[in-house]
Amino acid sequence: MITPHLSWILLLPLLGLGLVCLVPSAKTVLIRRISKVAVLAPFILSVWVFAAYNHLAGGFQFVVNVPWVVPFGISYHLGVDGINSLMLLLLGAISFAAVLISGSITERVKTYYILLLITIIGTYGAFLSLDIFFFYFFHEVAAVPVFLMIAIWGSERREFAAMKLTLFLVAGAAIALIGLLALYLSTGLQTFDLVAIQQQLVNHPLPVHVQSWIFPLIVLGFGITLTLWPFYTWAPVGYAEAPTAISMLHAGVLKKMGAYAIIRFAIQLMPQAAHAWMPIIAGLAIINIIYCGIVALTQRDLKYILGYSSCSHMGYILLGLACFNTIGLNGVVYLMFAHGIMAALAFALTGFVADQTKTRNLDELGGIIKCMPFIGTCFMMAAFASAGVPGFANFVAEILVLLGAWDQYRLFTILAVLGLVITAIYMLKAIRLGFQGPLNPRFAQLVDAQTLSAKFPYVILMALLIFVGCWPTVILTHIGSSTKTIVESIQ
Amino acid sequence: MMIPAINWSLVSLEVLMAITLVSLVAVDIALPKNVKKDWIGTLSFFALFGLIIFWSTQGDLRGVTFSGMFVMDSLAWFFKAFFLIAMVFVFAMTKEFFKSLGERRNEFYLLLWLALIGMCFVASSADFLLLFISIEILTISLYVMTAYLKSDKLSIEAGMKYLILGSLASGFLLYGISFLYGTTHSTHFDVIQSFCQTHAMSSMTLFALVLILAAVGFKIAAVPFHMWVADVYQGAPTPVTALLSVGSKAAGFIVLIRLFFGVFAAWHFEWSLVLAILSAITMTFGNLVAMFQKNIKRLLGYSSISHAGYLLMGAAAGSALGISGMNFYLLGYLFTNLAAFLVIILFSIAVKSDEIADYAGLSQRSSLLACTMLLALVSLAGMPPLAGFFGKFILLMAVIKAKYVWLALIAGVNIVISLYYYLMVAKRIYVDAPHSSTPIPVSAGMRLLLVVAIFGIIAIGIFQGPFLDAAMTAVNGMYLAHP
Repeated sequence: MITPHLSWILLLPLLGLGLVCLVPSAKTVLIRRISKVAVLAPFILSVWVFAAYNHLAGGFQFVVNVPWVVPFGISYHLGVDGINSLMLLLLGAISFAAVLISGSITERVKTYYILLLITIIGTYGAFLSLDIFFFYFFHEVAAVPVFLMIAIWGSERREFAAMKLTLFLVAGAAIALIGLLALYLSTGLQTFDLVAIQQQLVNHPLPVHVQSWIFPLIVLGFGITLTLWPFYTWAPVGYAEAPTAISMLHAGVLKKMGAYAIIRFAIQLMPQAAHAWMPIIAGLAIINIIYCGIVALTQRDLKYILGYSSCSHMGYILLGLACFNTIGLNGVVYLMFAHGIMAALAFALTGFVADQTKTRNLDELGGIIKCMPFIGTCFMMAAFASAGVPGFANFVAEILVLLGAWDQYRLFTILAVLGLVITAIYMLKAIRLGFQGPLNPRFAQLVDAQTLSAKFPYVILMALLIFVGCWPTVILTHIGSSTKTIVESIQ
Repeated sequence: MMIPAINWSLVSLEVLMAITLVSLVAVDIALPKNVKKDWIGTLSFFALFGLIIFWSTQGDLRGVTFSGMFVMDSLAWFFKAFFLIAMVFVFAMTKEFFKSLGERRNEFYLLLWLALIGMCFVASSADFLLLFISIEILTISLYVMTAYLKSDKLSIEAGMKYLILGSLASGFLLYGISFLYGTTHSTHFDVIQSFCQTHAMSSMTLFALVLILAAVGFKIAAVPFHMWVADVYQGAPTPVTALLSVGSKAAGFIVLIRLFFGVFAAWHFEWSLVLAILSAITMTFGNLVAMFQKNIKRLLGYSSISHAGYLLMGAAAGSALGISGMNFYLLGYLFTNLAAFLVIILFSIAVKSDEIADYAGLSQRSSLLACTMLLALVSLAGMPPLAGFFGKFILLMAVIKAKYVWLALIAGVNIVISLYYYLMVAKRIYVDAPHSSTPIPVSAGMRLLLVVAIFGIIAIGIFQGPFLDAAMTAVNGMYLAHP
């Protein structure tokens, strides 16, 4: 059987990036075409990887391992298990959709696609890497392109938002880096290879006093990426001002790198410290859910609602991480996927609306579902998904997290359910004020997404959301094969 | 009197440079007064490339000569190669910068050669006397070059400031050496090293070390010996600024390595905390003040102070890892900083300004200049996949290994602060609207050099292995009389 070679997932978009750099900037049609192919190719490969992954065998598959910096034990080590194969699929779908909806960008097209492709390549690299150094390396690659994209193509407060987002994320990354380096040095293995470190630490865990200071550094660092309360403030403003593609990618995938890193580097490698620290994190997670949810209630700007909503929902991921059981962890990974698709869809739709109406304020919008039936319906479905209505992927994920948390955190679980009610309130409010009611005459001329190609990006995301929501076993078997080993090693 | 045998092959590079310098002086005299063509510059270039090719074949040159005053080891080889590469950029900048200056540019090239010879001798010094003399050769040529623009007030002011503070530093160095001589009865590194291994630090040697550290701190622009940096960086002709920020700083660091990792290594335990505190203060001060700069040369001046702070982390760690980190960092810094100064020169020739506000919309006036500047700034901030990242990575690893986690955290905060002001410049270049839409011309030669610099920044950032090997070999093969 032919097995996919993971390096191509990086090399093909890299090739596309090179080509885009060479094309003269006036040939925008060609640039757009190359970019579409450059993200479609890794998407197809990701689907292939996901389908070809053997969940019965488990473990890391399709491994590529090339020594890179020998004195430090850094290697170009790629491989997938049930968790990151799903993340690849998530990134593939969202990045493809993000490039497709970028047609509305008409200024400095070449720079735009170059930066977008760098961001996407960096994110692919981070999810593929089984080497701690390269994870960090790729994860930081996206920082500056995202800054420039927000600062150049963002809306009104773009410069402030870009700077705030970047500085928060880089601060988090710097803290995490110190934690990761301390981890590397304390294992004494002289390798950044995740698999080797895992094997070593299962049998010879680090001393508890060492774990107990490295763990919070890593969790705090990546927690900032994951909008852990009270370090979430970069996200709402960042997502609101960013161009649509970046909002989609960041809320959908990039922040999930934080959760991914916490699972892989913190909880799995330092279980003793995790047991001591995670209850505190669970407490913060509940503040995330309730506080950010209430703030979302008060917002009038559609993108701010989505931004706060996204911060609020990260609370479920953090709560699930604190469970230490298979159900909870399955829920976390499931939610990373489900929330990613949902958030990307919602941001894409909002971007579509805002491009035409030039406003995102709910008081000015109104009744636009009448002239945009397709977009409006999609938005309603995304909102239902977000509120955890059965039939969508988020329902399965959130139920799993809540079930996982119930045994240890009764009160927190009840509050988390309350958070879903809050979500339903602000989402319904957004639908009622923005999409239903009397049509503002200003918007009588609005045009819906009419052609199939215009609808396509939304259709992909919507289809995934419903498919995964109605047939959870497809991805639960994948996730389960990997979470089982993680939970066994941490209990 | 017996003259000790001299192994001339060990000083071959310096001898060849001296021959080049003398012949260039002869050519300068022989040339008619009103020649338009830049002969000295062109010849310098050829000579420099010849020397680089020559030097690349001399990687195994090892030994001690001039009665042990001159040491040729892997560290010296590494830094001399470093200086040669840096000089390619500086010569190219000079050629571009002095296009309008006519005949006075010839002497400038000669001074650059003199500075290069000084730096190469610094890299090989194994005796405080030779060290002092070679530092003076370097510094005196820098004084002259700093004040070279006779009609420019800022340049004169910069030269004056640099001269006064530089002389003070030289005085400190001499005073420190004399105290050291008083205790150890030698200026010889070997003898002092064995003295340190057998004696504890006394108040006399402590005093001497503080004075020497002050002099080195002046060279590398560490706080609190940084007072000259901003004004001199701003006022000096930009090629000199580039040389100061890369060459002269690296020369300071090689002295630091030789002294605190070699000669005084036995006392490292007492010193490492001092170096760590110095490092923390230096990087924090440099970054905090850089945030408020309006002139790009001043901004890079303060940023170069902060980079001295990062580099001092390696010295504080005091391990082979830390020193390798410093070497690697300097290598990345070479391409990064010189790329930035290259852009500054080309920009200032076209626009006649070094104000950051005038950089607005550069990306629409010259995409190559904008892209180079962006990569240079992002690499200075230490973001992957660029050269600056891996250097910081090694240094952070070294200080954490040496149990200075607080220093690593301070460095982390500093990375964020520095990113702020680098991104503010990047924002001006990429986001703001240009004041004028006239494109900025870049000659073919300069394009090539810019591409080389970009290539260096990216290659060091992604293919770290070979460069790390070079940096580590330099440390591992370092000459130590009493290891």
